Formats: sequence, structure tokens, C-alpha cells
Amino acid sequence: MTSLPADTTHRAETGAKAPASAPRYAPGYGRLMRSPFYRATLGLLAENRAARLAVFIGVPLLWIAIAHVGPIVQLVRISLLQTYPITDGSSPSYTFANYWAFLSEPLYSLPLMRSVVFAFCVTLVTLIVVYPVAYYVAKIVRPQNRTRALLLLLIPFWAGEVIRTFSVIMLLANRGALNVLLREIGLIDRPIPMLYNYFSLSFGVIYLVCLYMLLPLYSALEKIPNHLLDAAADLGAGPFTRLRRIILPLSKDGIVSGCSLVFLTTIGVFATPILLGGPSTGLFPETIAAFFHGASDKWPVGAAMAVVMLAASLGLAALFMRLVGGKRSARFL
Amino acid sequence: MGDIKTTRRSAIKLLGASAAGFLAAPAILRSRSAFAQSNVLNITTYDKFIPADFLEKFQADTGITVNIRLTDDQGKQYNLLTAEGANPSTDIVTVVGHRFSQFIGSNLLAPLDTARIASWNSLIPAYQQADWLTTDGKTWGLPILAGFECLARNTDYVEDTGSWDVMFADANKSATSYIVSDFLSITMRYLGDDGDYVTYVDKPDVAQAATNKARDFLIQHKDKVRKYYDAGSEIQQMFINEDVYVAQGWSGPISKLIMDGHPIAISVPKEGTYGFVYTLNVVNNAPNADNAYKFIEAVAASPEVGAAMTRQSGFTSTFAGVEAILDEKERAASTLPADQVERITFFSSVNRDMKNEMVDRATAEIKAA
Repeated sequence: MTSLPADTTHRAETGAKAPASAPRYAPGYGRLMRSPFYRATLGLLAENRAARLAVFIGVPLLWIAIAHVGPIVQLVRISLLQTYPITDGSSPSYTFANYWAFLSEPLYSLPLMRSVVFAFCVTLVTLIVVYPVAYYVAKIVRPQNRTRALLLLLIPFWAGEVIRTFSVIMLLANRGALNVLLREIGLIDRPIPMLYNYFSLSFGVIYLVCLYMLLPLYSALEKIPNHLLDAAADLGAGPFTRLRRIILPLSKDGIVSGCSLVFLTTIGVFATPILLGGPSTGLFPETIAAFFHGASDKWPVGAAMAVVMLAASLGLAALFMRLVGGKRSARFL
Repeated sequence: MGDIKTTRRSAIKLLGASAAGFLAAPAILRSRSAFAQSNVLNITTYDKFIPADFLEKFQADTGITVNIRLTDDQGKQYNLLTAEGANPSTDIVTVVGHRFSQFIGSNLLAPLDTARIASWNSLIPAYQQADWLTTDGKTWGLPILAGFECLARNTDYVEDTGSWDVMFADANKSATSYIVSDFLSITMRYLGDDGDYVTYVDKPDVAQAATNKARDFLIQHKDKVRKYYDAGSEIQQMFINEDVYVAQGWSGPISKLIMDGHPIAISVPKEGTYGFVYTLNVVNNAPNADNAYKFIEAVAASPEVGAAMTRQSGFTSTFAGVEAILDEKERAASTLPADQVERITFFSSVNRDMKNEMVDRATAEIKAA
């Protein structure tokens, strides 16, 4: 048995020849790179396809499992517990009673209905408001300016949800910018109550979710070849006919994606209704939160309601995608 | 700027570094408070309760690093401590007096050894000897701030009627606001019932009837409400923006508005109201209990700290000598005439489970109506 030449040994450890002039790294990084563990790991990844696949697929899967599936599994588990948190020395006991509370009480099912209807209305209005904007950016703005125009539209979204909601309060309050302006130009004597009702709530939520509609619509509209529109115009199709026969059908994927995203986001929105809603605009997430914040702290019932909301919203979104987008769109759900 | 060229090797390196970062994340992101340390103190308390200057001085004097975790709800503290069991990540919590029984019953608090607090006597005697502070012959916390459910009104728009009637007056349609669960208790009292359920022990039918009566009354007058709120900052914002003119509020946030010069008045109407006291409590099995005692002693040692707490939170200090330090405006905002003080009944910890159950349900019903 003969020993391998030095160069090959090195290759076996790292998977590649050492460069002629080694790059200069910071001391810590250099030590890490020279360590046998690092070299062995790198070598393994470089030479073993299965290991590479495991890392490439394993890391995202681990991330999804921990950050996305994990909390939902825990939520379902809590929803089946009789009490939570479980005190020291006691063992968990499971029940379906928390789900029965939802089914047996209109008090809890009515806010869910209200949330569904509200989310549906917001989705429709957002589509109507955002579609022309997306069309303008995708088709009217010159190609070299499109990125700039999109960036301008995205700037408000650099701020968080709560900050943007407070900006709506500053705009619509009795002493807010809009009422002050109307009073200054003499149109009103007393402030118009624009806050804490369905108007302010819808305004705030649409402002919050319109980005989820804009981007898929822009993406779909931008792909429509201009020559199709030109040909239609040459053949005598008016603007409405072009919209109905060409633009809408070809942007259907964007409409389905945008509507699904907006609907799912709206049905679960929490902070904005708390800040902008009024005494009669209570949505289901507020009902759920009451179980976690209320004096009795009934986490399991709240968790059961959350699972019901998750299932209902996913079910409705899947139904919508199936009806509007066809089998292909609904496949991932 | 040149193009970034990716190779298989660079991609693997990036992936390896990302994976290492991901695996190291728990160690990097973990709250230091979750582990026992010698020179650290972890406190769970409300926003604006612990003055920043005092905190800085305490850390400089003692070398103890204080980590503050903010809470806005007693239930959150309770759930956190219950979930952590015998290994709590916090040393001090801020419990209101009427929730003591819940925390003590679940073995979450350690009795306070008042002998270790040299400045215990700086507390106003009424608080030192308060019945609710002692259970089974043990003291469970250091009272720091006292507050009450008050009637707040914008003096530019609403006259003082001396009654909760003003919350239900047609003149104030869409101009009132309140915390539903709190105002339900006050409404029960306004209607002649026991809003604290103390007299309803073993009388669930009587309690339910009284709760339903108040619930129906609030639903009947729902048109007067501009908004139900939860946090003190919300009602402050609504008064500043003149979105509401009259409201039920916690005395602290309302007093703060008065201190800041807004045209707001605070009062206890003739039908009376309920009061509460916030206390600092050492957690059972607190990892840094010695540091907790040092902190509690530092809070009690100087009325300046109590005054700073009042200035920041608006609530009334429980320490002697604080009033003399506050200026006239601060004193006026945080004190009441003697006859109104007598109308305050402190919330009791008796029959809390029944109260919580019925109030939570009625709250949901009022909101859904």
C-alpha cells in the first residue's frame, strides 16, 4: 500500500487545489479556513452530491419546519389542551371542547363571518384601486423609468405596519390633516368623524395590503406584449374592448395571486383594526386576541379559534383560486 | 462596480456560513435574562414605571445590569411565569394587588422579606399595613404606584356633572370611550350592583343577572361610544386629537395629560369607582433574587424615585414625602379632593375567577352587539 502524493491528499480534504497565492483573510476567518473540520466539511460538500443536496434542501426545509410549520403545530396542540400554560407537576389533558365553543356560540362565529365579508370587500376595492396604478407603471411609464416608479410606490412600505397605521390616524383624526385642511378652506365648521368606523378601517387596511396586489398585477401586466394591444386597436377595438378581451384575460394570473394574497392578509390583520376600528367593527382576530389578553387568559380556546380562522381562510382562498384561476392556480393549496 | 462571479466553491462557502449563522442564532439572539447571572437583574414592568435616570444611577452604583421587559397586561406576566415554571427568566414582576391571589395560588411569587428592605418604612403607613398586601402572614410585594378608574373629560366641551351619567348622555353621542371590561364593573356599580363580585361568592345567578343588566345597559348606549380602547396611550391620543371628549380611564395616563397641559379634568363621580395598586414582586426561584432586593431597596430609599415614577406614569406614588417634591401642577394632576378619594374602593382578589369568567363573556357580547 502506497501513500498518496501530498497534492492529492490536500485535494481529498478540501475538494480543490490550494491557490498559488493564498488570499489574506482576517485572523479568525483564516484560522477557521485552515481548520481540519472546515476543510473536511468543504471537501465533503464539494465531492459528495448527496451531501450537497442534503444541505441545499435540508436548510430551507429546516427553516420552514421551525419558522412556519412549528408554530402552527404548537397552535394546534394548544387548541386541543384543556388548560395552558401547563403548571409544574401537572400533565396535559386533551379535549375538543375548545372547538365546540366556536361551533356552539354565534358570539364567536359572527365575527368570523364579518371578517370574511370585510376581507372580500377590501380585496375587491384594492383590486379596483390598484389595477390602474399597476397598468400605468407597467404600460404607460417608459421602460427605463419603471424601476424608479416602482421604488417610489414602495417607499411607504419601508415603514412598519403600526407606523403607517398611526400616519392614517394623523390624517383622519378630528384634528388631523384632512379635517384641518377642510376647516381652513371653509368647507366645514365641525370636524367630520372619519376615524374609528368602517371607512377608516378599510382605508388603513387597503393602504397596508395594496403592495400585495400591486406587485403580482405589475408582473402580469408587464408581460403582455404591446403588439397585441396595438393590433387590437388597429382592428377597431376600443379601450374597453381591449381591457375586456385582452388585458384582463392575460393578467388573470396576477389578479388571482394578488387577490389571494390580499384576502389572506386582510382576514388575519390585527393591529390596524385595533387602532382604526370602531365599537361596531370588531373582526375575528380581535375576538381571538381577547382569549389571550382577557382576564381569564383562555389560550386553548383562542388557539382553537385561530386554527378555525386559518382553515377557513385557506379554504376560501383555495376555492377562489379554483373558481377564477382554474385547477393550476389552486394546485399548491 | 465589477460583476459578482459566483462559483460552486463560493456558493458552498456562503451556504456554509449561512448554516453556521443559523445554528448559532439561538446563542446570539437568546435573551441573556433566560439564564442566571451574578450581575444581572431582569425586571418585567409597565412602560414608564421605572425612571431612566434612576435606572442609570442604580446600574452605575451597583454594577448590576438591569434588563427591562415591558408588559401591558397582568395576564401576560402570569402566563409567562406559569410557562417558565421553576426556571423563570425574570426576577421582578409588577403585579396589581387584586391579582395577588392568582399569582400566589400558582406559586409564582416569593414572599417579600421586608427585613431585607431597610427603607420599608418609607411607604405611606396605609400601604405598609394594607390587608391585601399580606396573605398567610406573609408580605408579597412592595407597593409603588396607586391608581383608580377615573372619569376624564375635555373641559372645553364637557361640563362637570359629578356623575357617570355624562358617559350615557345624548349630548355625547360618538364622543365617549372606555375599556369595556373595566367600565362594565363601573356600570354595575353605577346601576347599584357589586362591580367587583365580592358579595357574589357562591351566588352565580345573582352575579350573572347583575352582569347581564350592565351588559344590556352598555349595549343600549353603544351609540355614545366612539371607540373601545385597551391601552392608556390610546386614550391619550384620542383626547389630544379631540376624537373623544369624555372617557373612563386609568388615572395615570389621564393625569399625565393634565401634567402636559391639555384641557382635561379628572374626577371620581358620586357613584364611586375602583382603585388598584401596582407592586414590585420577587419571583419564586428568581435567578437573581439578591439583586432584586437591592433594586427594591433602591426604589424605596428615596422619595425622588417615587416622584419621578409619578411624573412619568401619572399614577400616585405610595411613598411618603413624594408630594412635597412634586410641583403644583404635578400635585394637582395626581391628587384628588378628600371626598372623591373616599369614593374609591380598591379591587379585591376575592371571587376573581367568577368575575373574570363573566366579565370576559359580557365584554365579547358588548363588542359583538
